[in-house]
Amino acid sequence: MEVIDKAVRDIDIDAMAEQVFQESINILGGLRKLIEYRNLTWLPSLAEAAYAVVMKEELMKTHKEIAFDLGLAPQTVQNILRADAKEVERFIKGEIEKVDEHKAGGIAKLAYERVKREKRITLKEGELEVLGVDWAIRVLMRLRGMDFPIKKEQLCDRIGGIVIKGKPFKTIVDEMKPLLGSPAEVLKEIKRIVG
Amino acid sequence: MKREDRKYYELDELKEKAPKLFGVPTGTKLDEMFWKVDFEGGRPVKKPLGGIPYLSIINLTGIPDSGKSLLAEQFALHQANQGYKVLFVTVESPANFLYTSLKTKSLYLGLDFERISSNIIVVDASENAELREDPRALMDTMAYAIKEKQTNNVIIDSITGLYEHKEMMARQIVRQFFNFLKKWRQTSIFVSQKRSAQGAETAEAAGGLAVAHIVDGSIVLDKKLIESRWEMSTYKLPIGSVIRTIRIDGCRLTGHDTRTWVFNISEGGTIEIVSPLEDLVRGGGDGGNR
Repeated sequence: MEVIDKAVRDIDIDAMAEQVFQESINILGGLRKLIEYRNLTWLPSLAEAAYAVVMKEELMKTHKEIAFDLGLAPQTVQNILRADAKEVERFIKGEIEKVDEHKAGGIAKLAYERVKREKRITLKEGELEVLGVDWAIRVLMRLRGMDFPIKKEQLCDRIGGIVIKGKPFKTIVDEMKPLLGSPAEVLKEIKRIVG
Repeated sequence: MKREDRKYYELDELKEKAPKLFGVPTGTKLDEMFWKVDFEGGRPVKKPLGGIPYLSIINLTGIPDSGKSLLAEQFALHQANQGYKVLFVTVESPANFLYTSLKTKSLYLGLDFERISSNIIVVDASENAELREDPRALMDTMAYAIKEKQTNNVIIDSITGLYEHKEMMARQIVRQFFNFLKKWRQTSIFVSQKRSAQGAETAEAAGGLAVAHIVDGSIVLDKKLIESRWEMSTYKLPIGSVIRTIRIDGCRLTGHDTRTWVFNISEGGTIEIVSPLEDLVRGGGDGGNR
C-alpha cells in the first residue's frame, strides 16, 4: 500500500500572481500610461490585489487566511475580494465617473479572468529556439483549447503531423503514457522520448 | 470558434462523451439496491445495476459511529480485490491505522491482502496540514496519484474534514472536488459527517451544508438505541440494543431502492445489510446489533 503524505505541487502561486499583476497593468493601458498619468502609486495595491485574488481562487483560502499570509488587514482583503469587477471595468472605460468598489481588486479580478480564460503560456519563443526546444511552442500552440486530461490517441488529431528532432510525432506517441494530465505533461513525455 | 472553446453542445454531440450506465460493486447488498431499466420486447424491465453507478460521486453520510468509514473501506477492499486501483484520501485516520483496519477486514472477508495492498494508494491528509487545509494542494497531489497509478476509484474520508473550521467554504470546496473527480473520471465516495441533531428524516440528514446538493447521490447511515418498551415492541429487540439502518436517500443517475434497510456490523468490522426495516417491524426480518 503506497502512502503519499506530502503535497505534490503543480501550481506556482508566485508566477500566477505575477501574471495577474502584469495583466492588471495591461488593463490600465500599460506601465508607460501609469507613469504619464502619475498613477504609479497604484502598483502596490495592484500587487496585493493580484496575490489576494490568486490565493482565493487557486488555494481557496478565506479572507482571514489571505490577510494573515500577506500581512494585510482582513477588511482590506475582503474589500478586494468583494470588488465588483464589472463596475470597475466601466469606470476604467470612462462609462461612469465614480466607483465605490475597491479599484485594484476589481482590476485584479478582471486580469485573473483573462489569464485563466486564455490559458496563457509564459514561455518565450526565442528562448526556446536557443535551447533547441522550439518544437515545444508548436506543440503548445496546437494544444490550446484542449480539455485535459486527454488520451494519447486524441493528441494525434492535433499534433500528428509534427516532426520533432527528426522523429514523426506518430511514432513518438506510441511510447507515451496512455493518459496525460496537462500540456506540461505532454511536453515532458515528448522530451523523455526524443531526449 | 474551435470545438474545445465552446461553452455549449448540441445534445447529439454528447453521445460519445456520455458514460455507460453500469454498477461498480461495493461487495454489499447495496449492489442490488441500485437499478437500471432495460427494454425487452418493447417492455421496460428493472435490472440490478450491480453497484454504485460508474463515474458517480456518492455521498456517504451519517452521525458518528454509524458505519460510514467501514462501508467506504469495504468498497475499497472489494474494488482492489477485483484488480481495480483505488485512491484512498484519509483525512481523519492516519494512514498506518487505515492500513491495520483494511488488513483486518481483508482477513475477515478471506480476501488476498497482498493483491489488495498493491491496488490501494493512500494520500494521508490527516497528519499533513497543507494537504488538509489547502484544497488545491490536495487536488494536485490526487491528480499525481490518479495519473501515475491509473486509479479507477477515489474515496475521501471525510470531505467534511476539509472544511470543518470554515463551513462557509463548504459548498465551494465540495464543488471543486466534485468537478475535479468528474474531470479525472473516477467513481468516488465522499464520506461526510452530520451532526446528531440532524435527524435521519430531514434534508440535513444527507450531509448538512453542501454535499448532498452537489453530489450524484447520497446514502444515509443511522443508528438508534432501543430505549423504551414501545421501541422494544416495534423493533423486536431487547432494551439497550442498537439498530443500524441504511437508506439510499437519492441518486440522480439511476433508479434505486427507497426503503430503509437494517444492517449489522460484523465482528470483523464489515457491513452486512440484512433486510428492509419494514420486514423487521412486521416481524419477518433480522434485527440489528444486540
